[in-house]
Amino acid sequence: MGPLAPYEIISENTNFLLAFFIGIAFGWVLESSGFSSSRKLAGIFYGYDAVVLKVFFTAAITAMLGLLFMSLFGWVDLDLIYVNPTYLTSAIVGGVVMGAGFIMGGFCPGTSFCGAAIGKIDAMVFIGGLFIGVYGFAFTYGWWEKMYFAKYLGEPKVSEMLGMSDGLFGLFLIIIALGMFYVAEWAEKKFPREEY
Amino acid sequence: MKSLKLLALIIIPLGIIIAAVPPDRTRHFRLTADELLQEAGAGVQFVSADVVADMLVQNDPSLQLIDVRTPEEFDAFSLPGAINVPLSNLLAEEYTDLLNQDARMNVFYSNGSVYANQAWMITRQLGYENNFVLEGGLNFWFGNILAATEPAQTSPNEEFAKYDFRKSAAAALGGGGVVSATGDTPTVKAVKPPVTAKAKKKPAGGC
Repeated sequence: MGPLAPYEIISENTNFLLAFFIGIAFGWVLESSGFSSSRKLAGIFYGYDAVVLKVFFTAAITAMLGLLFMSLFGWVDLDLIYVNPTYLTSAIVGGVVMGAGFIMGGFCPGTSFCGAAIGKIDAMVFIGGLFIGVYGFAFTYGWWEKMYFAKYLGEPKVSEMLGMSDGLFGLFLIIIALGMFYVAEWAEKKFPREEY
Repeated sequence: MKSLKLLALIIIPLGIIIAAVPPDRTRHFRLTADELLQEAGAGVQFVSADVVADMLVQNDPSLQLIDVRTPEEFDAFSLPGAINVPLSNLLAEEYTDLLNQDARMNVFYSNGSVYANQAWMITRQLGYENNFVLEGGLNFWFGNILAATEPAQTSPNEEFAKYDFRKSAAAALGGGGVVSATGDTPTVKAVKPPVTAKAKKKPAGGC
């Protein structure tokens, strides 16, 4: 039955329309959980606030369980789900660049637009920096191209690399995530901040 | 901490369930309408009668002819080595291993090519590979392989080579009957067709 767009159950345009509404809902939830404050995101790096970690890991696990169960019921064909191809070098370099930007700016691309939507000036400055980065990369693409495509791994799955079933890996990931949540909540108590 | 426990209570049992059940094997392969149309339009499923005749004469073990007509028609006449899988029984479980394999080249045939094409389309939609259709079906086979007509004197050499091949193939294949049914007359068996590379390299569709 699914995924809906590759099976032509819904058209590409309907797909975009759904994405539009999902995006609005996503932004609304981010804002109402306080993600429009740059201190929230910086908190994960200083240990006083782990909401970001908890929210995004819970989202990942929810999506994972949803997909695995829907595949089990025959509702979705996992082979047709788009998986970003892995270029190891650019993934690592990009992760470092993004991580540094998160700490310095206190926003991720999504939360910066949330912040800008409620009129935060630091968020707007962050978006400006984001566009400088995007255009800077585009105009100097020739310099990076080789590194950009280095160490191509295809579309690997961690479960395949470890030689276990998707479901078993899912269980391990859930246990790891819960362990991380536990440590994060301990850290929140250990490095409290009165006001932010 | 309370919400963490609640979350754990919900997701750990779900994780255990998903780890314990076998991965989904009920996945249904489906080509999009566009893809199927493209394949059918390009005629990638067709194997020309000459190629099949050549493989038959050479006893190519990779060829598996599948007769999709009714058992009565199959009993009346069939190509050498063919198996009868009536179109109505195509999806029977006993034939799954035959149709879904990657060792041999299955060639469906019927009187024309309509039923064989239907069989190909169904198996293709199931995601099976290596299934093909005898181009023109048995009608073309009779008219052009077993009863090949001499080309006109002005025809290009290629046509004559094809005719020679078809004539000798027809002789080797029993000239219109089932090989085993017509009896093994040594004179018939002795005739080996000239193996023309040209005739062998003629898969229709031009891939």
